[in-house]
Amino acid sequence: MTALPPQTPTMSNPPRSDTDHASRDDHRDGESAGAAATATRPVEGSGRSGPDGSIDNPCIRIADFNAWYGSFQALHALNLDIPRNQVTAFIGPSGCGKSTLLRWLNRMNDIVPSAHSRGTLTLDGIDVLSPSTDVVNLRRRVGMVFQKPNPFPKTIFENVAFGPRLHLRLRRGELEELVEWSLRKAAVWEEVKDRLHSPALGLSGGQQQRLCIARAIAVGPDVLLMDEPCSALDPASTLAIEDLIYELRRQYTIVMVTHNMQQASRCSDRTAFFYEGKLIESGATQELFTKPQQKRTDDYVRGRFG
Amino acid sequence: MSSLPSAAGDLNLEPAPGSLGGDAAPPPISVQGASDNSRRRKLYSRLFYLLCVFISLLSVVVLVVLLASITIQGQGMLSWQLLTGAHSELHPESAGMWPSIVGSIAICGICALSALPLGIGTAIFLEEFKPTSKPLRLLHGFIQLNIANLAGVPSIVYGLLGLSLFVFMFNVFGQIQVNESAGIELMGVDRYYQVLTLAGGGHTVLIPQEDDAQATIQIDQPVMAVDSQGNEFELSVWELGTPRPTDPAEQQRTVRKGAVGGSYAQTGWNYFRLPFGRSFLAAGLTLSLVILPIVIIASQEALRSVPPSLREASFGLGATVWQTVRNVSLPAALPGILTGSILAMGRAIGEAAPVLVVLGATVAKNSGPQNMMDNVVTMPVLIFNWAGRQQATYQELAAAAIIVLLVVLLIMNSAAIYLRQKMRVDV
Repeated sequence: MTALPPQTPTMSNPPRSDTDHASRDDHRDGESAGAAATATRPVEGSGRSGPDGSIDNPCIRIADFNAWYGSFQALHALNLDIPRNQVTAFIGPSGCGKSTLLRWLNRMNDIVPSAHSRGTLTLDGIDVLSPSTDVVNLRRRVGMVFQKPNPFPKTIFENVAFGPRLHLRLRRGELEELVEWSLRKAAVWEEVKDRLHSPALGLSGGQQQRLCIARAIAVGPDVLLMDEPCSALDPASTLAIEDLIYELRRQYTIVMVTHNMQQASRCSDRTAFFYEGKLIESGATQELFTKPQQKRTDDYVRGRFG
Repeated sequence: MSSLPSAAGDLNLEPAPGSLGGDAAPPPISVQGASDNSRRRKLYSRLFYLLCVFISLLSVVVLVVLLASITIQGQGMLSWQLLTGAHSELHPESAGMWPSIVGSIAICGICALSALPLGIGTAIFLEEFKPTSKPLRLLHGFIQLNIANLAGVPSIVYGLLGLSLFVFMFNVFGQIQVNESAGIELMGVDRYYQVLTLAGGGHTVLIPQEDDAQATIQIDQPVMAVDSQGNEFELSVWELGTPRPTDPAEQQRTVRKGAVGGSYAQTGWNYFRLPFGRSFLAAGLTLSLVILPIVIIASQEALRSVPPSLREASFGLGATVWQTVRNVSLPAALPGILTGSILAMGRAIGEAAPVLVVLGATVAKNSGPQNMMDNVVTMPVLIFNWAGRQQATYQELAAAAIIVLLVVLLIMNSAAIYLRQKMRVDV
């Protein structure tokens, strides 16, 4: 516990000092002070929290949440608050339930016939799990980005316009404006503006993933769920997505699952560590990575297992 | 083969005494034996390869022989006359198959219109609406099992089903009997009595029929009638012993007192009655039962091959199941569904047994269907009829008709391949 691994200081500081990404750091340096401030604010308010950490005015409140696939219990009595307009990272070894929890947040598990759950899961006061909750509206408020870029086999424009067309009746001009706004927001506009009507599958993996983010934000969500958004991408695209996530958290509450601890430390404000379906520890990212309270968290963030 | 166990015995030498764990020393392998074995394995592989080539060539050879014999037999009869003419009992050399081509296409059209929506709809239900509760799961399993079973039912059984379901409709609407009852007629038919006039030469006028049950009418006093142009006029009656009208126009509007008129039906293209009778509508619906399982299974396969990630993306954006099916799953699965459907239509156009059961073996028809309740000839039935006759000319006609049928099938299959390629590119 006392001897920190040598890479930890670089890991835990969002504004990295990597020399080969100087330009990127330049662009981020201006915000880094503000980012660090936002990251520490909730921590000061409520102090370090164990598995049942609570924060003021959370966006998503998870209380005593259990989930099953058939008879297999994937999540055990979770208590976790997810703060507004911050990036919360779920880390943990494979099969620890972090993706399961993510998929319950917008009821994507409704598609899985054997999935069921018990407990409380509220989003801005809305009971997410209640059968009377309108799943369509819930998913409109809680957008999702998947592990593998999954653009529809349509044009770039049609991909982004897909969501708005589901929910709204827009005139062509309004739709074009919305598509451009979304693509700009997802930092992919400059690359695709000349070929909006060419197939989305012709884009590179990183561009496709940013397109998927644009598609998700085009319907105007409050929360973005990202299920290992960079795991299928090369390092350069990963950097672009991480920058984007960092940028987007000013407007959206972001929950991301990641296998990559460096990524969690680089772009999240808070981190929750899961192990075998239980929430072991959660708190401000910097503290969780540098001064974990649980032995298993310590082992995991140092790469001793998982 | 008999030498194989001994070769294996060479390899499975017992471990040397003392090395209980087996990892102390590698088992001694005779180098000579190993190389023998490798040569034998390569030989077997080579033999297996040749066997596979032989077997695949065998089926191609059978096909080539079939095509060659049919071409040799039928080429003399391949002519424009074959495509445009109709069946002839007296002059087989001038017989043709135009009515049967039209009939096959008409039946295929009915078949497509009924089987494709039903089949694709069932596939969507089974693939896109996954069961969420135990009763629903049982329902899905039950439907799935039945479809798999139906795919294996012989087509003649479907023919018998179609006979009682579509042709007779279990006699719920009464039996169809010529000049007595035509079941329940819903539209497209005008019933008249046909009466001979004094003009002679078979000239007749029509008198509208009021009571369906009354098959004939006896005319004793003037009534309203219709001429062949559809104009209404009052029909006058001439009594024996009175002066007979001499003006031909007058004669055409007069009948002898006591003349008897028989029932006559004038049908439009939209003639529709409730037991379908031996009509192409009944035949098309029967064929749709035959191909329904094929369409369902092909569509299911196509929908199953749509990546689940696309559906997740759509649901994740807040799409309903219908929006997802309409905008994501169906467009992505359409090439596969179309290919499967066209192949199923190929099966339908080639079926003879159910059509024979439903329509009977009539081939003497010189046009395509005139209305929805009309009987038709189809290509397989015509071929069946021609091939069973003794005259050599009919044998040759049958071979030529088979060539035409194969060409039609070839065109359909090419269309399937073309559509699949085109849709892939459009993505």
